[in-house]
Order: sequence, then structure tokens, then C-alpha cells
Amino acid sequence: MRWCPSLMLFGFLAAVNALSSSGNRLLVVLEDSAEKGLYSTLWGDLEARGYNLIFESPKNEQLSLFELGDRAYDHVLLLPPKSKGFGPSLSPKNLVDFIDSDGNVLLALSGKSTTPSAVSSLLLEFDLHLPSDRSSVAVDHFNYDTLSASEKHDVLVLERPGKLRPDTKDFFGGEGVLAIPSASPHTLGDTSLLAPILRAPATAYSFNPKEDAGSVEDVFATGSQLALVSALQARNSARFTLLGSVESLQDKWFSASVQAPGGKQVETANREFAKQLTAWTFKETGVLKVGKIEHHLVKDDLTVEDLNPTIYRVKNETVFTIEVSEYAYDKYIPFEVPANDALQLEFTMLSPFHRLNLTPTKQTENSTVFSTQFTVPDQHGIFSFRVNYKRPFLTNIEEKHEVTVRHYAHNEYPRSWKISGGWVWIAGLWSVIAGFLAFVVVWLYSAPTSAADRRKKTQ
Amino acid sequence: MAPKRAVNAPSAPSPSTSAFSSSASTTLSSGPKTLSANSSVPDIAVHVWQQYLTTTPQRTLLLDAFMAFLVLVGGVQFAYCVLAGNYPFNAFLSGFCAAVGQFVLTASLRMQTSSVEGASGKGASSVPVKAGKGAVGRGKDTDGVSHERAFADFVFGSLILHFFCINFIN
Repeated sequence: MRWCPSLMLFGFLAAVNALSSSGNRLLVVLEDSAEKGLYSTLWGDLEARGYNLIFESPKNEQLSLFELGDRAYDHVLLLPPKSKGFGPSLSPKNLVDFIDSDGNVLLALSGKSTTPSAVSSLLLEFDLHLPSDRSSVAVDHFNYDTLSASEKHDVLVLERPGKLRPDTKDFFGGEGVLAIPSASPHTLGDTSLLAPILRAPATAYSFNPKEDAGSVEDVFATGSQLALVSALQARNSARFTLLGSVESLQDKWFSASVQAPGGKQVETANREFAKQLTAWTFKETGVLKVGKIEHHLVKDDLTVEDLNPTIYRVKNETVFTIEVSEYAYDKYIPFEVPANDALQLEFTMLSPFHRLNLTPTKQTENSTVFSTQFTVPDQHGIFSFRVNYKRPFLTNIEEKHEVTVRHYAHNEYPRSWKISGGWVWIAGLWSVIAGFLAFVVVWLYSAPTSAADRRKKTQ
Repeated sequence: MAPKRAVNAPSAPSPSTSAFSSSASTTLSSGPKTLSANSSVPDIAVHVWQQYLTTTPQRTLLLDAFMAFLVLVGGVQFAYCVLAGNYPFNAFLSGFCAAVGQFVLTASLRMQTSSVEGASGKGASSVPVKAGKGAVGRGKDTDGVSHERAFADFVFGSLILHFFCINFIN
């Protein structure tokens, strides 16, 4: 029995080995359990990464995202419903509440069936817009798969997405092409929380196969206005991902060969992309953690008492350090700020008096220590050290540490003779005093004559 | 003022000599001659200067010398501030104010101590004197402040001024 605890420990270690940073309870909402087999590779991959998959039908009356007021699941994967919606337990309000309490949601749609209005209204909560007919498919006559959709042109063959901007991290890039069959396209509203992961190519457009050809005249959106995969990261860093094509997760497309017009026949990279997408949505990547935060005066021998003082004086030389880690699949690694971007420290009282780039000074096994040195501004009051780092695909860092900045004490000013510019005035003052003393002495010495004179005169 | 003074000058010596030392009266009697009506400007200036030197009591001369010194010191400090900037400003303020304040105090002392001489013999003092009271003499001012008392006040005021200036200059 002695090996029993160590075996248990080993079991825990294995569970910890590959795990999301925010829990492993994954609810998969699947209406037709017969379809479960179509995605077996995806389920296998997720389970291999440590998730505890719970399959539920939206028709299940017992299903609830919350239990005793707390989240019952950490993540939810919603496959497109066949009926009018996900039912009362997965209403838009419940799902928004779930995201508000730090749950992550991956919603997959399909262009093959009409998207229910309940899902459409959920997406409107996040400023994601579906075509008004809700059954459109993204079609492209230049980037389609010639093997499987030579007629309909609704299987898009796309490059893996690169960086969203030059100053963001690339979580979805890589080699290979993606096959996106019968995708339901959407457009993004104008909010900074939304970020497109995969946009449709410039030659794509939204097409409703149920209507006649005349509908092409007034299309919903065209080209790269259309997004196929988009992400929303809420202010509490909870994540919501909308995947336009649930079919791209199927086993069939994980291992399919596709051929773009005029191109070579290649294997799809859908499996790798699905891994990246689920890993990001379920907080395995792009999760930042702030470790130790220290600020102190510039000093050679620092003791514990010198760290994080509550009061500074104006014009003090101050050092601020912050330790940041990034979660990558199964462990924390040192965070590296993307090129062209900067982690910044603000020293603020209402508005920033300083906004300084933090530079990496030290790297530990699983964190980077960023620091900067600056002079406290010549303004007393209640200031705060703030690090406010909000970037697409990275969880938010919002740190605020208040300190008091006092003015000089009266004995902290330099003495007058230390300032050579004042020597003339000091000499002036002392010459006045010396002149006064000399005057007094001469005055007193000159007294007797006049006094004697006066006495003489009165006599 | 110089021409007016020059006109007044002939009447000035005789009363002043009676008020002061006999040595002064002797030098005066054999001293500068009275000016004719059409003297040249340098002559007038020299005459005024001679009159000032001979008719002013020694303590008043001493006061005037000290005040001239204070004007010089204050002027140098102000010129330095204009030329070299006012940093550190408190040093400028205390240095300059010490000179100005000392000047004011000395001027007060001069008013209080020279008026008697002015009353008995219209010396260089420009303090207005009432003729009746001025004849009292014995170092008493028109307000009845003795010279000793005036000097004590002057020393006390000056010490307070120096104390504040030294503190303010840090």
C-alpha cells in the first residue's frame, strides 16, 4: 500500500500535465448523439489534452450551466442546433451570464442549416452579425476545393491565418491550408473586444442557396468583410469564439485532401487549427499571469522594508518591476512582448504623468521580469503605478498600486551654500550684517565727543 | 537742489557753528568762502560737498556712509539677479531684503537722531523741524525720543531683520 499515495500523486501530475489554465470541465452540447461519431478525432484530441468531456443534448431538462449559483462547467462547446434554438437552459441570457462568470464558449455554426434566431440574438449581444436570412453560405469561385465542391464552390480552401496586426501574437498560424466547408459567414461590429481569427478571401461572398440567383444582386457582405472565425474576449478575459463551419471540425476534413483551382493536392491542416482554436478558446494559450510586483527607491542594499513603500517623495528615483508569465498549453512560460508592442507602466494621478516602456530585465523558468526606472514627478498627491495591457488574444493585465507622493520636508532642501549661484546673495547678506556691526561699534565710539559736547553746552 | 542750497548756504554756517564744536566753527570761519551769484557748476558742487562735510555732525556722516554702503550692496545684488537669474530665489530675496531693510532702519535712525542738530542749526538734514520745540536740545527728538532709545530700537530691529534673513536664506 505504500506506493498508493505516490500513484495518486502521479495521477494528479498527469491530470495537471496538460490542462487548461481555468479548469477542465467541458460541456459539449450536441443535439443528435448520432453525430458524435463524426467528430471523434476532435473528442480524442480534447480528452488527450486533459478535458473532461460531458455530452448533453439541449433538450435535456436537467441541463444547467450553473449549480448552486456557481458555474457547473468551465467551458462550453456548442454545436449548431437542429431545432429552433438551444432550449431554455442555454438561452442567450444564460450564456452571457456564463461568460460573465468567466466561462468560455465555443459556438460552431453551419451553413447547411438555418441558424435559429435565438443564436442570432446571442451573437447580437457580442456585436456579431449574421446575414438576415441566417442560412447563407460563404462562396468563393477562386479559392474552392476542386475535389469536393467543383460545382457549388462552397468549400473554401484558405491559407492559415497570420497575425491579426504586426504587434500581436500569432496563435493560429502555421503551415498548410484549411478547408472550410459550407461556412456561415458573419460580420464584426465595431468593438475593441472582437477580433477576427479567419477572414474570408477577397473574392468570397455570402450566398443563400435557397433563394434564386437574383439575390446575388444585394449581397449581405463580400470579400474580407466576411469573417469565418471570430473571437470575443470579454473584459473579464472570458472567451467566446464563433466558428462559421462546424464541418471543418469533422474527422472527414481533418484528414481530407483538397486542391485549390490551379494548385496541388494537399492535406488539410484542420486538425492543427482546431487544436489551436479550442486551446485558445478554453484558455490554454494567450493567458497572462502577473507574478510579483515590486517598486522601491534606487538603492544598492535593499532590505524587505524598502520594498513597496506606501510613500514616496517628489523627484525620488524609483524602480518598478513586474513579473509576467504566459500559459502555453500545459505550463507557464516567460512572457515575451510581441515585436512592435510594449508593456507599459503608467504613473498616474487622474492622468498619467509618466508612461514608460517596461523592459525585460530578468527571465526565470516560467516568467519574465519587466522593469523600468524613473523619477517621480514634481507633484505631490496620491499616485498609482498602473499596468494596463489589453491586447487581442491575450488576457487583460490591469494592475493598480496606489502610493502617496509627498513634497520635500523642510530639511531635505540643499543648504544655501551648496548652491553656488546664491553665493553672491549670501555674501551680500553677511556684508550687511558685518557693516551693521562695524557701524554700531563706530557709532558707540563716536558717542563721547558729542555727549561731552552736549554736556558742555548745557552747562 | 544745488543752486537752492548754494543760495541758502550763506545763512547756514553761523547758526550751525554755534551748535557744534568749536573746531567746526574755526574751520568754518576760515573755511570755504561764500559763493558769488554767478559761480560755475563744478564750483557749486565742490562748495556743496565742502559744506556738507563741514556742517554735518559726525554721527550723521557715519549714518550716511553706512546708507551709501547699503545702497551699493543692494544694487550689486539686484544687478547680479538681473544678469545671472534668480535661482536660488530665497537667497536673492533675503540678501536683497536685508540690504533694503537695513537701509530703511538706518534712515529711521537718521531721522530720529539728526533732527535735533537740524533744529538748532539747519545742517544737512532735510527733516522739517518746528522752531519752538527744536531748542530743547539734550538729544531729544521732536517726539520726545532720546538718541539712546532710538539707537536701541535700531539695534533691536536690525537684529530681528538679520535673524529672519539668515533663516530664510537657509
